Amino acid sequence: MHEDISGVYVVEMDDGSIRLATRNLAPGIKVYGETLLQHGGVELRLWDAYRSKLAAAFMKGLKTSPLRDGIKVLYLGVASGTTCSHVSDIVGNDGRVYGVEFSPRVMREFLERVAKYRRNVIPILADARLPTEYAHLVEEVDVIYQDVAQPYQSKILVDNADFYLKKGGWAFLAIKARSIDVTKEPSEVYKREVETLKDGGFEIVHVVHLEPYDVDHAMILARRT
Amino acid sequence: MGSFIGLLLCNDEGEVLEKALFPKNYEIQASKLYLLSKGESIDEVKELCEKARKLGIDELVVEDPKVAQVFVSAGFQNVKIETPNKVAKAIRSQLLKLVVKIGYATSEDEAVEILHKVAFNLSAKRIVEAVEKRDLLVAQAVSCIDEIEKILNILASRLREWYGVHFPELGNVIKDHEDFVRALILIGHRDNIKKKEVLEELGPLRDKISKILETGPSLGANVLQKDVDVIRDVASIVLKLYEVNERLRRYVDEVMGEVAPNLKELIGPVLGARLIALAGGLERLAKLPASTIQLLGAEKALFRALRTGSKPPKHGVIFQYPEIHRSPKWQRGKIARALAGKIAIAARVDFFTGEYIADELKEDLKNRIKEIKETYKSPPKKVVEKKVKKKVKKEGGSK
Ligand SMILES: C[S@@+](CC[C@H](N)C(=O)[O-])C[C@H]1O[C@@H](n2cnc3c(N)ncnc32)[C@H](O)[C@@H]1O
Repeated sequence: MHEDISGVYVVEMDDGSIRLATRNLAPGIKVYGETLLQHGGVELRLWDAYRSKLAAAFMKGLKTSPLRDGIKVLYLGVASGTTCSHVSDIVGNDGRVYGVEFSPRVMREFLERVAKYRRNVIPILADARLPTEYAHLVEEVDVIYQDVAQPYQSKILVDNADFYLKKGGWAFLAIKARSIDVTKEPSEVYKREVETLKDGGFEIVHVVHLEPYDVDHAMILARRT
Repeated sequence: MGSFIGLLLCNDEGEVLEKALFPKNYEIQASKLYLLSKGESIDEVKELCEKARKLGIDELVVEDPKVAQVFVSAGFQNVKIETPNKVAKAIRSQLLKLVVKIGYATSEDEAVEILHKVAFNLSAKRIVEAVEKRDLLVAQAVSCIDEIEKILNILASRLREWYGVHFPELGNVIKDHEDFVRALILIGHRDNIKKKEVLEELGPLRDKISKILETGPSLGANVLQKDVDVIRDVASIVLKLYEVNERLRRYVDEVMGEVAPNLKELIGPVLGARLIALAGGLERLAKLPASTIQLLGAEKALFRALRTGSKPPKHGVIFQYPEIHRSPKWQRGKIARALAGKIAIAARVDFFTGEYIADELKEDLKNRIKEIKETYKSPPKKVVEKKVKKKVKKEGGSK
């Protein structure tokens, strides 16, 4: 076992396969049925790349990550918190994850599974298309992570960056091709979204396709200059 | 600016000039933020207004239009909206440090603790509001709309007939029920249409009334003031009902956005709400097969068909969807089936995951309808002539 990307452990399983893991910030508590491992007095949670696009991106060779201890993250579309819980592990108790989700039912699960046990997670039931609505809760952040399965995703990202992202901050954007535009092929969708990002002051640092973990998504890592 | 500790008044340099802080209690903090986000006033708004005035400040800048509205209602006229605002951004870049500096928390750790608890409470509040049977409320509201509309039709017809004894010409020129009722109330006794102030109040309806004046004396009976007064009494209630109905529609629109945004976007708030009402709630609708959804609201016709062996219905309440009732008869069943399929998906996503997929659904549906319109351009008879036997059978069997 060793640490490659900050806060992310690479675990070699007994059968020789490679898995990712993070250090459990809420010891003893599982979020989505993941396996807990003990390693030198530290409890690790295995991170399932088939269930989390961020893990898939790391598995697919994304080497740079702005996520590390003490970082502030605005997470748009936390859902029930599968990925968010690992981000919470990585940024640790000095960091913070502002988790925005607009479905009440999903948010309820998020509160019960994740936010309840992690003080560094700030849950926000709100629509990510309206960043003004949560301005009374969110501070300036270093990273925005967005996975909302919505049309005009890049615009949502840029609008939120205008509000909350600090100069030189980073953004992860999970793009689901079909949800952006049904009539066009993915490549065109990327092009258009990437264009919006660039117009919004972002520079694309990496684009990783997530298959086989996730067949119709890609992860974009961008930086605001 | 609003924050989880209260309201802060800052100058252009980002220095805090004044503050109206919330009591240090998670429940209270959360409920104050909750009210503020709904555009309702809280004591701290008034407090900050007064403090601002004492400092001789006559213009405020806020980021949230709803908060701006609250300040205006509290009597502060000059409120600008700027999203995002530079000063607010500067504050956000050191928000938790500021909380300590102000003395609201003793350490940054405590500040985070407060933030976490307030956010948790606030989200929980909103969940309760959103999840607690709001679908059943919207179902009741839409059923009430339907009932009010029935009553309105009955009463408006009654008023036309009743008032027509005295002044039949008015009903002849004003066809819209609501306009008719409004005019009736304003006019009262028919002689009043000669009065200038009455004409003025009639606004856009004035031209129609002037026409009556031109055609000479009324053919109706001359009646007493008390005869007219009772008609007007009823008319004012009817007008009130029109207003209530309008408000109900807006309510349904709003709540449908919270309860079933995909359904609302796909087929409109009122029709969506009717389906929820017919199914007995969003959960039940989400669990129905598309074929049942297609026939919701046509139960009577369906049972009649089963009893008598007549043709079964092709669509229930979704017939109100414009693309169905505007299309020629032979296409309706097919469009209804396509639509019901999309409705089933929308309801499931609304109930189970809450993702927003309405745009894809609409796009898919649009394409499918286009396809149906092209494939079945002419009535089935012509299809029989042109196409091979096999296809004809399939076409006949699908009805
Ligand atoms: C694909 S899921 C996210 C999965 C999550 N990131 C994970 O890996 O665990 C997308 C989520 O975004 C939410 N969402 C969609 N549109 C949103 C919006 N405008 N604002 C906030 N959340 C939104 C959906 O309700 C859904 O839960």
